[in-house]
Amino acid sequence: MHAYQGIAFRTAYVIARNAADAEEAAQDGFVKAWRALGRFREGAPFRPWLLQIVANEARNRVRSAGRRASLALRAATEESSGGAAPSPEAALLSGEQRAGLLAAVNSLPEEQRTVLSLRYFLGLSEQEVAETLDVPLGTVKSRTARALERLRESYD
Amino acid sequence: MTELERALVALGNELEFPPTPDFWPRVGERLQRRRWVRPLVFAVALGALALGVAMAVPPARSAILRFFHLGSATVQQVAKLPPAQQRPLAAGLGPALVREDAEMYAHLGIRLPKGVTPQRFYAQPGLIATYLSYGGKPVLLSELKGDQTVLFKKFASPATSVQPVDLGEFGLWLVGGPHVLMWQFNFGRIHRVETRLAGNVLLWLDKDITYRLEGDLDKSQMLALARQITR
Repeated sequence: MHAYQGIAFRTAYVIARNAADAEEAAQDGFVKAWRALGRFREGAPFRPWLLQIVANEARNRVRSAGRRASLALRAATEESSGGAAPSPEAALLSGEQRAGLLAAVNSLPEEQRTVLSLRYFLGLSEQEVAETLDVPLGTVKSRTARALERLRESYD
Repeated sequence: MTELERALVALGNELEFPPTPDFWPRVGERLQRRRWVRPLVFAVALGALALGVAMAVPPARSAILRFFHLGSATVQQVAKLPPAQQRPLAAGLGPALVREDAEMYAHLGIRLPKGVTPQRFYAQPGLIATYLSYGGKPVLLSELKGDQTVLFKKFASPATSVQPVDLGEFGLWLVGGPHVLMWQFNFGRIHRVETRLAGNVLLWLDKDITYRLEGDLDKSQMLALARQITR
């Protein structure tokens, strides 16, 4: 389970948008996963099962009061927009487009933003997103489609 | 993937996430504190009750023709085998884990033959297991803590031989005929039994640990492997 610390913490952060809550959620999720390990369905993928437990913990914390941060760009990324040559991936977007797209993501309804963040920022498959959020695959697809539709206006 | 989707992936690489804290030590501390004794006490009580009932009722007494109790294992000869199928040796023992994680979950350090470094381990509270290779054949090594019965071995065929062996404090060698392995796990109120057909088995008790080797080896090979584990 060591190997999943990073993805578990980021999943919790995407949902809770607060580092302290994300750490607590990931830690509690790991403890609960350990205790439930005997009930883990053999042959099933382990990562989404673990992330589902962590995501539940993170959602429970969102319901409590506390400061929620928006996703932000790394400072170096913002500064480098007029400086050194960007990576091929980063070259897809100008600095202004990056900021605009991120602002659009941050303004999405929470359910759509979470699906999009897990899918594209953390690199989970659609199936993994569905299992992590404990929703049907079709729900992930429709939330993704609606979110992309809204973003397209900002991006184009 | 559309251009917008590629742009989102690129954006993800540029995002500022807080550094991942190393919360694993804290998880470990919390797991070490966890009270794993209670479910096992429950298992003992359940086992004792079941055995008491079985021995008190004449038809049940005849159904369990004889049994051997060895540490965490009970070997029973029964009139009729419970239904069981061929399954992988580690079936029912949970996902494959690295050694450190498995030992933490089992609350038990595994003893291995010298120079052997398996990559995959399986664990349940009080139980740890791994695959070994002997003469190119896979062998499942399981080690169980204490004397709470979590393992039942049932055989019916007269072709099955159960022989005592000079190993540890007491050992048994089971060979021939179909026999059924039943792991019994208890998690709070959840009671789970995993059943499968088993191969040749060597069971022995040494210093409060029940050891079990299962695989397609003969008695001398199995004993040689066992003596590399507990000497």
